[in-house]
Amino acid sequence: MVQYSRTLDSAFGALSDPTRRGILERLGRSDAAISDLADEFDMTLTGIKKHVGVLEDAGLVTTEKVGRVRTCRLGPRQLDDEAEWIAEYRRMLEGRLNRLEAFLEATKGRDRR
Amino acid sequence: MTAATKQPAKKATVSMSGDRSIHIERVFNATRDRVWEAMTKPELVAQWWGRGNKLEVERLEVRRGGHWRFVEHAHGEAHGFEGRYAEVVPPSKLVYSFEWDGMPAHALLETVTLEDIGDGRTRMVIDSLFLMAEDRDAMVSSGMEGGMNESYEALDRVLAAGW
Repeated sequence: MVQYSRTLDSAFGALSDPTRRGILERLGRSDAAISDLADEFDMTLTGIKKHVGVLEDAGLVTTEKVGRVRTCRLGPRQLDDEAEWIAEYRRMLEGRLNRLEAFLEATKGRDRR
Repeated sequence: MTAATKQPAKKATVSMSGDRSIHIERVFNATRDRVWEAMTKPELVAQWWGRGNKLEVERLEVRRGGHWRFVEHAHGEAHGFEGRYAEVVPPSKLVYSFEWDGMPAHALLETVTLEDIGDGRTRMVIDSLFLMAEDRDAMVSSGMEGGMNESYEALDRVLAAGW
């Protein structure tokens, strides 16, 4: 289910990166430790943590630390690419129209003919 | 309605028309020429299209067959958007394809019409047609979601405060 209360850029940014889309796909098959993901994606722990953090902020992934192992699994917000894209598109469009309106107000009388 | 000079003609009406398009209408307190220019001049587009984020207007060839490509920079990431113009009728109509780099080939066709409604105001009508079958199906399910307008109002407030 798409959560409209999330800020636009969190899901938008989370989905924009191929590594993060890969992580979601990987977690769709099974839960994984940060260190497993680092191995599988051939990245440093720090790099993977950063990506997981972005996904976590967007509600797409949750993590749980047991002992020294942090396990990642898909979050409450299941990824549905198409529905997500449409929702984001709609929010972007609204955002742009708000900005356009503000721009037109701010430049009233200043436009050259 | 009387000639409401300072009436904030803000409300966008959003509706689902059919199972594969979004229909949005919005009234701006600006002449049609100004709205047209804001949409077609690179230096003006750069000031609003990015929703407050830095925007690079890489291409903006406003003619039939012309390309457009904008890159929005947000949170250290670059998001590219692009398409081609199918129809250009100054100052009243633009039809173009719209794709985001993050969902390549999930294209939309946007039709924007501008109508002079007097008092220096312009009605913009946007019809966005999703071209892929999966997107159309997803549209049906996402259209069932409640609370959309409430969220828009919240977004409106956030954006207004950030301007």
